[in-house]
Amino acid sequence: MKHSILSEGDEEPMDPVRKDEFDSEACGSIAPKAKPCPRPKPGEAAGGCSFDGAQITLLPIMDAAHLVHGPIACAGNSWESRGTLSSGPCLSQYGFATDLTDSDIIFGGEKKLKESIDYIAERFAPPAIFVYSTCVTALIGEDMDAVCKTAAERIGIPVIPVNSPGFVGSKNLGNRLAGDALLQYVIGTGEPEPLTPLGVNLIGEYNIAGEMWDIEKLMNSAGITVTSRITGDARYKEITWAHRAKVNMVVCSRALLGLAKEMESRYGIPYFEGSFYGAKETTYSLRQMAFLMNDREMERRVDRLTEREEARLSQDLRPYRKLLKGKRAVLYTGGVKSWSVISALKELGVQVVGVGTNKSTEDDVRRIADRVGDDTEYIPEGGASRIIKTVRERKADIMIAGGRNMYVAMKEQIPFIDINQERHKAYAGYEGLLRLAKELTYSLANPIWKLAASPAPWDKEAHPYDR
Amino acid sequence: MSKDELNIKDNTSLFKEERYVQQRENKKQFEAPCSEQETAEALAYSKSAEYMEKNFNRQNVVINPHKACQPLGSVMAALGFEKTLPFVHGSQGCNAYFRSHLSRHFKEPTPSVSTSMTEDAAVFGGMNNLIDGLENSVALYKPEMVAICTTCMAEVIGDDLNSFIGNARIKGVISEEYPVAYCNTPSFVGSHITGYDAMIKGILSYLYTRSGIESKPGSGADSGEKLNVLLGFEPYTGNFAELRKILAAFDTKYTILGDHSGNYDSPATGEYEYYYGGTKLEDVPQAANALGTLSLQKYTLKKTQEYISGTWNQQISALSTPLGIKGTDQLLEAISELTGLPVPASLTEERGRVVDALMDSHPYLHGKRVALVGDPDLLIGLIGFCLETGMEPVHIVCSNGDVDYNEVKFKDEAEALLATSPYGSEATVHVGKDLWHMRSLLLNDTVDLAIGSSHLKFAAKDADVPLIRVGFPIFDRHHMHRYPIIGYQGTLNLLSLIVNTILQQLDDNHSGFNFELVR
Repeated sequence: MKHSILSEGDEEPMDPVRKDEFDSEACGSIAPKAKPCPRPKPGEAAGGCSFDGAQITLLPIMDAAHLVHGPIACAGNSWESRGTLSSGPCLSQYGFATDLTDSDIIFGGEKKLKESIDYIAERFAPPAIFVYSTCVTALIGEDMDAVCKTAAERIGIPVIPVNSPGFVGSKNLGNRLAGDALLQYVIGTGEPEPLTPLGVNLIGEYNIAGEMWDIEKLMNSAGITVTSRITGDARYKEITWAHRAKVNMVVCSRALLGLAKEMESRYGIPYFEGSFYGAKETTYSLRQMAFLMNDREMERRVDRLTEREEARLSQDLRPYRKLLKGKRAVLYTGGVKSWSVISALKELGVQVVGVGTNKSTEDDVRRIADRVGDDTEYIPEGGASRIIKTVRERKADIMIAGGRNMYVAMKEQIPFIDINQERHKAYAGYEGLLRLAKELTYSLANPIWKLAASPAPWDKEAHPYDR
Repeated sequence: MSKDELNIKDNTSLFKEERYVQQRENKKQFEAPCSEQETAEALAYSKSAEYMEKNFNRQNVVINPHKACQPLGSVMAALGFEKTLPFVHGSQGCNAYFRSHLSRHFKEPTPSVSTSMTEDAAVFGGMNNLIDGLENSVALYKPEMVAICTTCMAEVIGDDLNSFIGNARIKGVISEEYPVAYCNTPSFVGSHITGYDAMIKGILSYLYTRSGIESKPGSGADSGEKLNVLLGFEPYTGNFAELRKILAAFDTKYTILGDHSGNYDSPATGEYEYYYGGTKLEDVPQAANALGTLSLQKYTLKKTQEYISGTWNQQISALSTPLGIKGTDQLLEAISELTGLPVPASLTEERGRVVDALMDSHPYLHGKRVALVGDPDLLIGLIGFCLETGMEPVHIVCSNGDVDYNEVKFKDEAEALLATSPYGSEATVHVGKDLWHMRSLLLNDTVDLAIGSSHLKFAAKDADVPLIRVGFPIFDRHHMHRYPIIGYQGTLNLLSLIVNTILQQLDDNHSGFNFELVR
């Protein structure tokens, strides 16, 4: 049997949690029965580490500087590799690293760190500097917290230690540790301007391909303002006053639900988990916001907006629905997308015949179950080969997964759509659903699949696989 | 359905719309509290000569690095051998980075596994992870060899691979005969090229030692006619094909030691295999009996070359990446010398055709000022190519110099090469510098072209200089790696790439009267 060797990178096999306290509080509202997040198994191609996860969460704070304290590779292998877009500052795109070498490993890198922070503060004048620990600096016992603390006092801007070295566990744990850093050092340290209208924090929306902007436009049309973006296309300052928001919407529950829960208990901000994939989920999320804001007029505006948008969308989707009706898809993604994209696909007439569950919380799985039929196969473990097996067995027409399953799908000649962090298309909101419909159609209808599936004219043997 | 029946914009055009522009403006209230004028002044300052000096005095922080780490090179090296599974001993994220990095460049899957060390391994050592990892991966992926490299974490806690692998055998997880090669590759030392070297040497020495064969260079019954070829950390699958074409023209037998082109250029057959191509394991010990060894990246392959000339007692011709006419001439002479075969007429003819092409384009190349970024051997090749076309290298940045070969350091060789031509007189070679240094160089002393990896695109954009993508990694263009850049054919490819970029620029920047049909 082929196995998970092919699964790659970021959104991949999920993903152990090594700290027990996270198990009950951040893995969904239902306390998991057994160990919900098994430790990574040695000898498989595991996904990203906690360092990676912490960066993913914080890098979309676009005006801050992000400094990696460690050997060159942790920065050298990772800088500027996610599709999280900025509408303004781009300091976040710079790859800053202390580049520790063997003598630093022996004598310590704290001096180097201190001087690096000073240099960045002087040259780039960021509103804050995030400093990431790595395996090496954690193992040699660097006192990063102390260096950051004295540096912050010296240079007069926040210098925030992010203690999430790779070896503590999965990418997912790193997301949460980053959330912890925001709670500890950022949220509640600032106040909005007196006249700033307060509204909703979007938590766990990273503005991949600009999706956040579509969402904001919708919210604004209904009169709902975004207080803080945590952290898609964010500015440092807006996160400092996140505690003044009236509602928290958790867009990616797997990553930052714990943050929303903590903000509820600390600041009394109600939260809900929602999504913007598909018209139904989008409408639900907007309604939920208005409801929790406790503003009747806003609710009425939301109703008018969603009715109008849904009607227009349904008109616009007509030609696509005709083409997509009855098509079968295998969906392999995690978190909020695992269930909300099912909704979106159903609205397009596409049937999900297989769905990945190993990166989903129990809540997510329950939501998946609510949305799919009995004959949908759950894919509990990672790996493109496992997914491809499902595609074959369930006679799926298309595979919807992360960008790095793509190359295996291509080898197997399976139409593919990238749904994860490397996608270049925004699928959120009503317009996003139209884009999704268009991308599905293009992917399915491209002439290359016919060409790829037919043997060379002089090769009489039939193609081994006839989909 | 017509493509534009519904006008759904992508993010390139969508966010140019007025409402999004407005949204961006509104967000400025959250941004750094300085005026547009101050921002403009700061930006202008960052482009000044005064700042460049400060930038070059920067000691501690690296900004926009241009190197990857040792184990990334080791993974690529391991994929050069038949049915070999790269195995990264350390925490899980490193492996995920290597796989996505390599896959983004080649647009192909990268099979590689990790021991996924966590906190308890940090305290008690990673032996159990390694033993379990060997058991699991051999059962799941059925490799014929496992090639283990270490990461920072394993090195800092001092894991002993040799004894761990021994213990895995004692425990019966793998048999006594099962081949497991390894090397130590902490990323706080060296770069991807030293890691590549460490793994190639690790595999060659391991397979040779366990075979019990005694090297008799040039004297084996059949293998004595063979030539060993090493390409090094080679981001171009097309270069393997080009070299095979050249060796076929010579009609010599050869063994490529470390050929990952199969894994990174496999056909779409409708079924994915784990392992494509690669050097046959049984060919490796036989390589000790070869005529001699040709190495195409002498700085990259330093330790491997030492091993081959020392232990295998073999004649070595160590070149840098053979780019351009002269670089290729050297390659052909080296093959000719090692094999005793004359340079075939077909290659001489090809040479003439490419020289002809260079002549056709020379008016557009002459005097073009060029900035170069890359690994040491690639840069030596590129400098040579520039000099023979009349292009003038101006800024040369090599983050992972100064590797030395036979006590000649990269910087010395690069400067000596530049000194051989008047076109090299303006050049400075910066070793250990990063792309933020390069940005200062580009802004203060402007050039016509930048040549380097995709990572250079930010600095090139700031300086408004067109970027010719050459080297590793190339994430943002497709199929570059499928075309060779070595040999005469590669020279032609590189020439077309450069001259056509220049011609496109002429068309883009015309002022009306010079929008000409014939160039």
